[in-house]
Amino acid sequence: MRIFTAIIGFLVVLSLGSGLQAQTTPDEALFRDAKLLVYDKSWNAALEKLAELREKYPDSPYAGQALFYKGECLSGLGGRERDALRAYKDYLRLPDAKASLIEESEGSIVDLAFELYEKGDASALRDIEVRLGHDDKVVRYYAAYKLSLVSDKKAAAKAVPVLSRIIETEKDPELLDRARIALLRVSPESLKSVEDRKPSPGSPRMLKIRIWNKGEKEPAFSLNIPWALADLALGAMDEDDQAELRKKGYDLNKIVNELAKSKESILRIVGDDGSVIEIWIE
Amino acid sequence: MAEHLEKCPECRAAADEMRRVLAKTDVVKAEIREAVTSVDWEKLPAVIAERAFSASRKPERVLPAARPRAWLSALRMKPALAGLAAGLVVGAAAMYFALKAPGPRPGPGTGYFASGEFLDKAELEMARRNTLDYLEKSQYVLLDVFESAGEGGAAPTAFSSAQARDLLSRKKYLNAQLERDQIEMLFLELSQISEKMPAAELHKIRGFVEERQLLLKINLVRKELERGI
Repeated sequence: MRIFTAIIGFLVVLSLGSGLQAQTTPDEALFRDAKLLVYDKSWNAALEKLAELREKYPDSPYAGQALFYKGECLSGLGGRERDALRAYKDYLRLPDAKASLIEESEGSIVDLAFELYEKGDASALRDIEVRLGHDDKVVRYYAAYKLSLVSDKKAAAKAVPVLSRIIETEKDPELLDRARIALLRVSPESLKSVEDRKPSPGSPRMLKIRIWNKGEKEPAFSLNIPWALADLALGAMDEDDQAELRKKGYDLNKIVNELAKSKESILRIVGDDGSVIEIWIE
Repeated sequence: MAEHLEKCPECRAAADEMRRVLAKTDVVKAEIREAVTSVDWEKLPAVIAERAFSASRKPERVLPAARPRAWLSALRMKPALAGLAAGLVVGAAAMYFALKAPGPRPGPGTGYFASGEFLDKAELEMARRNTLDYLEKSQYVLLDVFESAGEGGAAPTAFSSAQARDLLSRKKYLNAQLERDQIEMLFLELSQISEKMPAAELHKIRGFVEERQLLLKINLVRKELERGI
């Protein structure tokens, strides 16, 4: 992603644009240098510059922002998650913290807390849980999404109310699908209950797939997913694989669309090996 | 010189030839000017990327994070799910395909359920689609800056810190699949740029983006991702 590095380099200069027109002050120059080092992932060198800025110019308007970038450096270094958390939290306490950096800091705190949890610190989840009630929905939603990924199902279940609320109130399809998948992960019954409450006259609600191996009573594979996710799952097929299936006379997208139209129909395929596949839509 | 030309037929012929060449050069200059003004420079990167990819159907490079192994391919490795793919692909001789009114439904499930593996694959596919959308929007932001710079330096119309913040909030969900810092840092900077940007600064951005053919590069990445759909 060198493109972005290039853009960033310029934007760093640009974001200090007004300063360039006038005389660049030493604190501003130091801050710009530190940011460029951050973009180059020269974390230690950037940390040194940021420390110098805060030490030499504690009253500089950039001294506060330096805390945010300190968090970025410590986070990038790896193994210093707690220090990074502290830096972000220090930034959040500043009275003149910028809105965009606040949101970013909150998101980074959620990510760092998740990392610490994955490394065995169960108490780190507290930092995610408290953000489920955050005033900013961007922070709230992200905390719920991240919490849905933790292996402790009891803890993950705390994300259910926020995830359900997303499905009930949000219009953004990207957010909706993410919330559906997250709910399917932690509480499929909650997803069903939320989806059932949403009016969808005449449109299919669920895609079901079962696969039985020969001679077995219980299906070897079962899937019940909301219709919206079925589309995503089918779309995930590689173009080459879809073409291969079409050559054999099967176009899964077409088949599922046909099933959706005929509503109460069921597609049944018996393989050479005696396995049985059934696909239907409700 | 005029007197000499009147007397010397060779020099007169050479001078005539020179005039003709210069006259043609003027025509060519005009044509070049016309051609240059007829180019939609903002669409040009997309056109170049389109042509580059229509010339070669196979990818030369695959982005490891952004082009996840597709759903069906992933199924091949999972014994239970592999049955689905195998059942569909294995020789058609012993297969029958029927659309019929349903009999008793297999299994008890009336609720939703899906394996963690399946959900991981679905999320991966979603990340790929969203990355495309993300790149597309980042192009719009840059084009906004372009247009503003070209219109006498008025503040960018739709280019606002709110847009960059929106992109930032979406980017968080892609961090598991994409490099975290660089894309995010780009929009972090964008989100802090004032809407009241001076015209000179707008022109600087435009010059920078053009010089490095950034839109073309973003287009090329997008095309690579799109070919996976």
